Amino acid sequence: MAIEVKIPTILRTYTGGAKSVEAKGDTLLAVIDDLDGNHPGLKGRLITDEGALHRFVNVYVNDEDVRFTGALDTELKDGDSVTILPAVAGG
Amino acid sequence: MTRYTSLLEAFGDTPLVGLPRLSPRWDGENPVRLWAKLEDRNPTGSIKDRAALAMVRAAEADGRLTPGCTILEPTSGNTGISLAMVAKLRGYGLVCVMPENTSVERRQLLEMFGARIIFSPAAGGSNQAVATAKQLAEQNPDWVMLYQYGNPANAQAHYEGTGPELLRDLPTITHFVAGLGTTGTLMGTGRYLREKVPDVQIIAAEPRYGELVYGLRNIDEGFVPELYDDSVLTSRFSVTSYDALRRTRELIEHEGIFAGVSTGAILHAALAVADRLATKDPADQSSRADIAFIVADGGWKYLSTGAYSGSLQQAAERLEGQLWA
Repeated sequence: MAIEVKIPTILRTYTGGAKSVEAKGDTLLAVIDDLDGNHPGLKGRLITDEGALHRFVNVYVNDEDVRFTGALDTELKDGDSVTILPAVAGG
Repeated sequence: MTRYTSLLEAFGDTPLVGLPRLSPRWDGENPVRLWAKLEDRNPTGSIKDRAALAMVRAAEADGRLTPGCTILEPTSGNTGISLAMVAKLRGYGLVCVMPENTSVERRQLLEMFGARIIFSPAAGGSNQAVATAKQLAEQNPDWVMLYQYGNPANAQAHYEGTGPELLRDLPTITHFVAGLGTTGTLMGTGRYLREKVPDVQIIAAEPRYGELVYGLRNIDEGFVPELYDDSVLTSRFSVTSYDALRRTRELIEHEGIFAGVSTGAILHAALAVADRLATKDPADQSSRADIAFIVADGGWKYLSTGAYSGSLQQAAERLEGQLWA
Protein backbone atom coordinates (compact mmCIF):
# COMPACT_ATOMS: atom_id res chain seq x y z
CA MET A 1 0.00 0.00 0.00
CA ALA A 2 1.64 3.22 -1.18
CA ILE A 3 1.04 6.50 0.58
CA GLU A 4 2.56 9.74 -0.68
CA VAL A 5 4.01 11.86 2.15
CA LYS A 6 4.81 15.52 1.49
CA ILE A 7 7.74 16.76 3.56
CA PRO A 8 8.11 20.44 4.57
CA THR A 9 11.34 22.27 3.72
CA ILE A 10 12.41 22.25 7.34
CA LEU A 11 12.44 18.42 7.55
CA ARG A 12 13.99 17.64 4.16
CA THR A 13 17.40 17.16 5.72
CA TYR A 14 16.00 13.76 6.72
CA THR A 15 14.86 12.85 3.20
CA GLY A 16 17.97 13.88 1.29
CA GLY A 17 16.15 16.98 0.09
CA ALA A 18 13.14 15.09 -1.32
CA LYS A 19 9.87 17.07 -1.24
CA SER A 20 7.78 13.96 -1.25
CA VAL A 21 8.48 10.35 -0.35
CA GLU A 22 6.52 7.10 -0.40
CA ALA A 23 5.68 5.11 2.70
CA LYS A 24 3.61 2.09 3.66
CA GLY A 25 1.11 1.53 6.45
CA ASP A 26 -2.60 1.36 7.16
CA THR A 27 -2.57 3.96 9.93
CA LEU A 28 -0.73 7.27 10.25
CA LEU A 29 1.46 5.83 13.00
CA ALA A 30 2.41 2.87 10.82
CA VAL A 31 3.31 5.26 7.98
CA ILE A 32 5.46 7.38 10.30
CA ASP A 33 7.20 4.25 11.60
CA ASP A 34 7.85 3.15 8.03
CA LEU A 35 9.18 6.63 7.18
CA ASP A 36 11.51 6.54 10.16
CA GLY A 37 12.90 3.21 8.95
CA ASN A 38 13.99 4.81 5.68
CA HIS A 39 14.72 8.27 7.06
CA PRO A 40 15.98 7.76 10.63
CA GLY A 41 15.21 10.60 13.04
CA LEU A 42 12.10 11.86 11.28
CA LYS A 43 9.69 10.30 13.77
CA GLY A 44 11.35 12.11 16.66
CA ARG A 45 10.62 15.45 14.98
CA LEU A 46 6.92 14.66 14.53
CA ILE A 47 5.99 12.79 17.69
CA THR A 48 6.79 13.69 21.30
CA ASP A 49 8.25 11.33 23.90
CA GLU A 50 4.70 10.96 25.22
CA GLY A 51 3.59 9.60 21.85
CA ALA A 52 1.48 12.55 20.66
CA LEU A 53 1.94 14.77 17.63
CA HIS A 54 4.31 17.66 18.33
CA ARG A 55 2.35 20.84 19.12
CA PHE A 56 3.89 22.79 16.24
CA VAL A 57 3.45 20.04 13.65
CA ASN A 58 0.25 19.69 11.63
CA VAL A 59 -0.44 16.54 9.63
CA TYR A 60 -3.17 16.30 7.02
CA VAL A 61 -4.57 13.28 5.24
CA ASN A 62 -6.07 14.42 1.94
CA ASP A 63 -6.20 17.98 3.31
CA GLU A 64 -7.99 17.08 6.56
CA ASP A 65 -6.18 17.66 9.89
CA VAL A 66 -5.60 14.27 11.54
CA ARG A 67 -6.17 15.69 15.03
CA PHE A 68 -9.88 15.52 14.17
CA THR A 69 -9.87 12.17 12.38
CA GLY A 70 -8.23 9.90 14.98
CA ALA A 71 -4.76 11.48 15.25
CA LEU A 72 -2.02 8.84 14.89
CA ASP A 73 -4.69 6.11 14.58
CA THR A 74 -6.16 7.74 11.47
CA GLU A 75 -6.72 5.01 8.91
CA LEU A 76 -5.14 5.29 5.50
CA LYS A 77 -5.88 3.62 2.21
CA ASP A 78 -3.95 3.18 -0.99
CA GLY A 79 -3.57 6.45 -2.85
CA ASP A 80 -4.08 8.70 0.19
CA SER A 81 -1.81 11.67 0.51
CA VAL A 82 -0.22 12.77 3.79
CA THR A 83 1.02 16.36 4.16
CA ILE A 84 3.23 17.49 7.04
CA LEU A 85 3.45 21.23 7.77
CA PRO A 86 4.78 23.38 10.58
CA ALA A 87 2.14 25.47 12.41
CA VAL A 88 2.17 29.09 11.25
CA ALA A 89 0.15 32.17 12.17
CA GLY A 90 -2.62 33.73 10.11
CA GLY A 91 -4.69 36.86 10.67
CA MET B 1 -33.09 51.03 12.27
CA THR B 2 -30.25 51.78 9.87
CA ARG B 3 -29.22 55.21 11.19
CA TYR B 4 -26.09 55.40 13.36
CA THR B 5 -24.34 58.20 15.23
CA SER B 6 -20.90 57.09 14.02
CA LEU B 7 -19.20 54.53 11.82
CA LEU B 8 -18.19 52.70 14.99
CA GLU B 9 -21.85 51.90 15.62
CA ALA B 10 -22.46 50.67 12.07
CA PHE B 11 -20.76 47.30 12.22
CA GLY B 12 -21.91 43.70 12.53
CA ASP B 13 -25.46 42.53 11.88
CA THR B 14 -24.34 41.43 8.43
CA PRO B 15 -26.64 39.71 5.90
CA LEU B 16 -26.84 35.93 5.62
CA VAL B 17 -27.60 34.94 2.04
CA GLY B 18 -28.48 31.56 0.57
CA LEU B 19 -26.51 29.98 -2.26
CA PRO B 20 -29.20 28.10 -4.21
CA ARG B 21 -26.90 27.36 -7.16
CA LEU B 22 -23.80 26.14 -5.31
CA SER B 23 -25.73 24.15 -2.69
CA PRO B 24 -25.83 20.42 -3.52
CA ARG B 25 -29.59 20.21 -2.73
CA TRP B 26 -31.44 23.44 -2.12
CA ASP B 27 -35.02 22.11 -2.15
CA GLY B 28 -36.78 18.99 -0.96
CA GLU B 29 -37.56 17.44 2.40
CA ASN B 30 -33.91 17.12 3.52
CA PRO B 31 -31.98 19.90 1.81
CA VAL B 32 -28.21 20.42 1.97
CA ARG B 33 -27.99 24.20 1.87
CA LEU B 34 -25.12 26.68 1.98
CA TRP B 35 -25.47 30.15 3.51
CA ALA B 36 -22.91 32.96 3.22
CA LYS B 37 -22.50 35.55 5.99
CA LEU B 38 -21.33 38.69 4.25
CA GLU B 39 -18.72 40.10 6.61
CA ASP B 40 -17.36 42.31 3.85
CA ARG B 41 -20.32 44.58 4.72
CA ASN B 42 -18.49 45.87 7.79
CA PRO B 43 -17.09 49.45 7.84
CA THR B 44 -13.61 48.66 6.44
CA GLY B 45 -14.80 45.68 4.43
CA SER B 46 -13.77 42.71 6.55
CA ILE B 47 -14.80 40.58 9.51
CA LYS B 48 -11.82 42.00 11.44
CA ASP B 49 -13.77 45.16 12.26
CA ARG B 50 -15.56 43.16 14.93
CA ALA B 51 -12.38 42.05 16.69
CA ALA B 52 -10.58 45.38 16.29
CA LEU B 53 -13.39 47.38 17.83
CA ALA B 54 -13.89 44.87 20.65
CA MET B 55 -10.17 44.82 21.50
CA VAL B 56 -9.96 48.63 21.57
CA ARG B 57 -13.08 48.94 23.71
CA ALA B 58 -11.77 46.33 26.16
CA ALA B 59 -8.41 48.09 26.43
CA GLU B 60 -10.15 51.43 27.01
CA ALA B 61 -12.35 49.88 29.68
CA ASP B 62 -9.43 48.39 31.60
CA GLY B 63 -7.40 51.60 31.33
CA ARG B 64 -4.60 50.26 29.11
CA LEU B 65 -5.54 52.63 26.29
CA THR B 66 -5.73 56.32 27.08
CA PRO B 67 -6.06 59.27 24.67
CA GLY B 68 -2.96 59.75 22.53
CA CYS B 69 -1.65 56.20 23.02
CA THR B 70 0.03 54.29 20.21
CA ILE B 71 -1.33 50.84 19.36
CA LEU B 72 1.03 48.16 18.04
CA GLU B 73 -0.22 45.08 16.20
CA PRO B 74 1.20 42.23 14.09
CA THR B 75 -1.18 41.68 11.17
CA SER B 76 -1.26 40.31 7.64
CA GLY B 77 -3.56 43.20 6.74
CA ASN B 78 -7.25 43.13 7.57
CA THR B 79 -6.90 43.54 11.34
CA GLY B 80 -4.48 46.39 10.69
CA ILE B 81 -6.94 48.17 8.40
CA SER B 82 -9.75 47.73 10.93
CA LEU B 83 -7.58 48.99 13.78
CA ALA B 84 -6.41 51.93 11.66
CA MET B 85 -10.01 53.06 11.20
CA VAL B 86 -10.89 52.61 14.87
CA ALA B 87 -7.64 54.27 15.99
CA LYS B 88 -8.33 57.28 13.76
CA LEU B 89 -11.84 57.75 15.12
CA ARG B 90 -10.81 57.17 18.76
CA GLY B 91 -7.64 59.29 18.62
CA TYR B 92 -4.81 56.76 18.78
CA GLY B 93 -1.68 56.19 16.73
CA LEU B 94 -1.15 52.80 15.09
CA VAL B 95 1.98 50.86 14.19
CA CYS B 96 1.36 47.67 12.18
CA VAL B 97 3.94 44.94 11.75
CA MET B 98 3.10 43.28 8.45
CA PRO B 99 4.88 40.62 6.38
CA GLU B 100 6.29 42.16 3.18
CA ASN B 101 4.54 39.51 1.03
CA THR B 102 1.05 40.98 1.37
CA SER B 103 -0.96 42.74 -1.33
CA VAL B 104 -0.16 46.35 -2.24
CA GLU B 105 -3.76 47.38 -1.60
CA ARG B 106 -3.37 46.55 2.07
CA ARG B 107 -0.37 48.83 2.39
CA GLN B 108 -2.11 51.64 0.54
CA LEU B 109 -5.19 51.38 2.73
CA LEU B 110 -3.14 51.37 5.92
CA GLU B 111 -1.16 54.39 4.81
CA MET B 112 -4.32 56.23 3.82
CA PHE B 113 -5.74 55.68 7.29
CA GLY B 114 -2.52 57.11 8.73
CA ALA B 115 -0.99 53.93 10.13
CA ARG B 116 2.75 53.38 10.22
CA ILE B 117 3.87 50.07 8.72
CA ILE B 118 6.95 48.13 9.79
CA PHE B 119 7.60 45.28 7.40
CA SER B 120 8.77 41.86 8.53
CA PRO B 121 10.60 39.50 6.15
CA ALA B 122 8.49 37.40 3.77
CA ALA B 123 10.18 34.19 4.89
CA GLY B 124 8.35 32.96 7.95
CA GLY B 125 5.13 34.79 7.11
CA SER B 126 2.99 35.97 9.98
CA ASN B 127 5.10 34.05 12.53
CA GLN B 128 7.87 36.51 11.82
CA ALA B 129 5.50 39.49 12.10
CA VAL B 130 4.41 38.26 15.54
CA ALA B 131 8.02 37.81 16.67
CA THR B 132 9.00 41.27 15.38
CA ALA B 133 6.00 42.90 17.09
CA LYS B 134 6.91 41.26 20.40
CA GLN B 135 10.44 42.66 20.13
CA LEU B 136 9.09 46.13 19.35
CA ALA B 137 6.73 45.92 22.32
CA GLU B 138 9.71 45.29 24.60
CA GLN B 139 11.66 48.19 23.11
CA ASN B 140 8.67 50.56 23.31
CA PRO B 141 6.96 49.94 26.64
CA ASP B 142 4.58 52.87 26.12
CA TRP B 143 3.04 51.25 23.02
CA VAL B 144 -0.03 49.11 23.61
CA MET B 145 -0.05 45.77 21.79
CA LEU B 146 -3.62 44.48 21.57
CA TYR B 147 -2.32 41.14 20.25
CA GLN B 148 -5.22 39.61 18.34
CA TYR B 149 -3.79 36.07 18.68
CA GLY B 150 -4.19 36.01 22.45
CA ASN B 151 -6.72 38.76 23.23
CA PRO B 152 -9.96 37.25 24.62
CA ALA B 153 -11.92 40.28 23.34
CA ASN B 154 -11.25 39.01 19.79
CA ALA B 155 -13.12 35.74 20.37
CA GLN B 156 -15.67 37.45 22.61
CA ALA B 157 -16.70 39.76 19.75
CA HIS B 158 -17.83 36.67 17.86
CA TYR B 159 -19.37 35.01 20.91
CA GLU B 160 -21.53 38.10 21.39
CA GLY B 161 -22.02 39.11 17.75
CA THR B 162 -21.40 36.64 14.97
CA GLY B 163 -22.76 33.62 16.87
CA PRO B 164 -26.09 35.10 18.01
CA GLU B 165 -26.65 36.72 14.59
CA LEU B 166 -26.19 33.34 12.88
CA LEU B 167 -28.57 31.51 15.20
CA ARG B 168 -31.18 34.29 14.88
CA ASP B 169 -31.02 34.19 11.08
CA LEU B 170 -30.62 30.40 10.71
CA PRO B 171 -32.21 28.56 13.65
CA THR B 172 -31.77 25.28 11.74
CA ILE B 173 -27.98 25.69 11.47
CA THR B 174 -26.07 22.38 11.53
CA HIS B 175 -22.56 23.46 10.45
CA PHE B 176 -20.43 26.59 10.79
CA VAL B 177 -17.34 27.06 8.60
CA ALA B 178 -14.77 29.85 8.92
CA GLY B 179 -11.12 30.63 8.34
CA LEU B 180 -8.50 29.78 10.92
CA GLY B 181 -6.02 32.61 11.45
CA THR B 182 -6.05 34.13 14.90
CA THR B 183 -8.79 31.54 15.56
CA GLY B 184 -10.98 34.28 17.13
CA THR B 185 -13.93 33.84 14.73
CA LEU B 186 -14.05 30.05 15.18
CA MET B 187 -13.46 30.07 18.93
CA GLY B 188 -16.09 32.73 19.73
CA THR B 189 -18.77 31.71 17.25
CA GLY B 190 -18.03 28.02 17.80
CA ARG B 191 -18.42 28.23 21.58
CA TYR B 192 -21.68 30.13 21.28
CA LEU B 193 -23.19 27.69 18.78
CA ARG B 194 -22.04 24.64 20.73
CA GLU B 195 -23.86 25.96 23.80
CA LYS B 196 -27.08 26.50 21.86
CA VAL B 197 -27.19 23.88 19.09
CA PRO B 198 -26.77 20.18 19.92
CA ASP B 199 -24.32 18.40 17.57
CA VAL B 200 -23.43 21.53 15.63
CA GLN B 201 -20.28 21.00 13.56
CA ILE B 202 -17.56 23.67 13.74
CA ILE B 203 -15.23 23.48 10.75
CA ALA B 204 -11.98 25.33 10.17
CA ALA B 205 -10.39 26.16 6.81
CA GLU B 206 -6.77 27.23 6.89
CA PRO B 207 -4.65 28.41 3.98
CA ARG B 208 -1.91 26.19 2.62
CA TYR B 209 0.70 28.59 1.37
CA GLY B 210 3.74 28.23 -0.81
CA GLU B 211 6.90 26.92 0.81
CA LEU B 212 8.40 30.33 1.51
CA VAL B 213 5.82 31.00 4.19
CA TYR B 214 6.81 27.86 6.06
CA GLY B 215 10.48 28.82 5.99
CA LEU B 216 11.13 28.41 9.70
CA ARG B 217 14.57 27.49 10.98
CA ASN B 218 13.20 24.75 13.18
CA ILE B 219 9.88 23.25 14.21
CA ASP B 220 10.00 24.96 17.60
CA GLU B 221 9.56 28.31 15.86
CA GLY B 222 6.04 27.19 14.92
CA PHE B 223 3.12 29.18 16.22
CA VAL B 224 -0.26 28.27 17.65
CA PRO B 225 -2.37 31.27 18.73
CA GLU B 226 -3.00 31.44 22.48
CA LEU B 227 -6.74 31.74 21.73
CA TYR B 228 -6.82 28.34 20.00
CA ASP B 229 -8.65 25.50 21.75
CA ASP B 230 -9.04 22.52 19.46
CA SER B 231 -11.92 21.11 21.52
CA VAL B 232 -14.15 23.80 19.96
CA LEU B 233 -13.61 22.41 16.44
CA THR B 234 -14.94 19.23 14.88
CA SER B 235 -12.78 19.26 11.75
CA ARG B 236 -10.07 21.29 10.10
CA PHE B 237 -9.10 21.50 6.42
CA SER B 238 -5.94 22.80 4.78
CA VAL B 239 -6.75 24.42 1.43
CA THR B 240 -4.31 25.16 -1.39
CA SER B 241 -4.19 28.48 -3.23
CA TYR B 242 -5.47 26.70 -6.33
CA ASP B 243 -8.60 25.34 -4.63
CA ALA B 244 -9.20 28.64 -2.84
CA LEU B 245 -9.03 30.54 -6.14
CA ARG B 246 -11.22 28.00 -7.91
CA ARG B 247 -13.97 28.42 -5.31
CA THR B 248 -13.57 32.20 -5.21
CA ARG B 249 -14.30 32.26 -8.93
CA GLU B 250 -17.22 29.84 -8.60
CA LEU B 251 -18.73 32.12 -6.00
CA ILE B 252 -18.74 34.99 -8.50
CA GLU B 253 -19.83 32.88 -11.45
CA HIS B 254 -22.75 31.08 -9.82
CA GLU B 255 -23.86 33.35 -7.00
CA GLY B 256 -22.55 36.80 -7.93
CA ILE B 257 -20.51 37.21 -4.75
CA PHE B 258 -17.12 38.90 -5.23
CA ALA B 259 -15.08 37.66 -2.28
CA GLY B 260 -11.44 37.56 -1.21
CA VAL B 261 -9.25 34.49 -1.62
CA SER B 262 -9.60 33.22 1.95
CA THR B 263 -13.36 33.00 1.44
CA GLY B 264 -12.69 30.61 -1.44
CA ALA B 265 -10.77 28.39 1.00
CA ILE B 266 -13.68 28.52 3.45
CA LEU B 267 -16.18 27.65 0.70
CA HIS B 268 -13.95 24.75 -0.35
CA ALA B 269 -14.18 23.24 3.14
CA ALA B 270 -17.94 23.94 3.28
CA LEU B 271 -18.46 22.15 -0.03
CA ALA B 272 -16.33 19.18 1.08
CA VAL B 273 -18.75 18.70 3.97
CA ALA B 274 -21.87 19.45 1.88
CA ASP B 275 -20.91 17.04 -0.90
CA ARG B 276 -20.36 14.21 1.61
CA LEU B 277 -23.86 14.74 3.02
CA ALA B 278 -25.44 15.03 -0.42
CA THR B 279 -24.26 11.54 -1.38
CA LYS B 280 -26.65 10.15 1.24
CA ASP B 281 -30.20 9.16 0.31
CA PRO B 282 -32.31 12.37 0.08
CA ALA B 283 -34.98 10.57 2.15
CA ASP B 284 -32.43 10.09 4.98
CA GLN B 285 -33.14 12.76 7.57
CA SER B 286 -29.51 12.76 8.72
CA SER B 287 -28.50 14.23 5.35
CA ARG B 288 -30.32 17.52 6.08
CA ALA B 289 -27.85 20.35 6.58
CA ASP B 290 -27.80 24.12 6.87
CA ILE B 291 -24.17 25.09 6.49
CA ALA B 292 -23.27 28.70 7.25
CA PHE B 293 -19.87 30.02 6.24
CA ILE B 294 -18.05 33.33 6.52
CA VAL B 295 -17.31 35.66 3.62
CA ALA B 296 -14.33 37.26 5.37
CA ASP B 297 -13.77 40.12 2.94
CA GLY B 298 -14.42 41.27 -0.61
CA GLY B 299 -12.08 40.68 -3.54
CA TRP B 300 -11.04 44.30 -3.97
CA LYS B 301 -7.82 44.10 -1.97
CA TYR B 302 -6.52 41.19 -4.07
CA LEU B 303 -7.00 42.53 -7.61
CA SER B 304 -3.31 43.42 -7.91
CA THR B 305 -2.29 39.84 -7.10
CA GLY B 306 -3.81 38.63 -10.38
CA ALA B 307 -6.15 36.27 -8.52
CA TYR B 308 -9.07 37.20 -10.76
CA SER B 309 -7.45 37.18 -14.19
CA GLY B 310 -6.00 34.54 -16.47
CA SER B 311 -6.25 30.80 -15.94
CA LEU B 312 -6.57 29.30 -12.47
CA GLN B 313 -3.13 27.75 -12.75
CA GLN B 314 -1.55 31.09 -13.70
CA ALA B 315 -3.36 32.87 -10.88
CA ALA B 316 -2.31 30.21 -8.35
CA GLU B 317 1.31 30.55 -9.47
CA ARG B 318 1.14 34.32 -9.04
CA LEU B 319 -0.13 33.82 -5.49
CA GLU B 320 2.79 31.54 -4.61
CA GLY B 321 4.64 33.10 -1.70
CA GLN B 322 1.87 35.66 -1.02
CA LEU B 323 -0.18 35.76 2.17
CA TRP B 324 -3.84 35.77 1.19
CA ALA B 325 -5.62 35.24 4.49
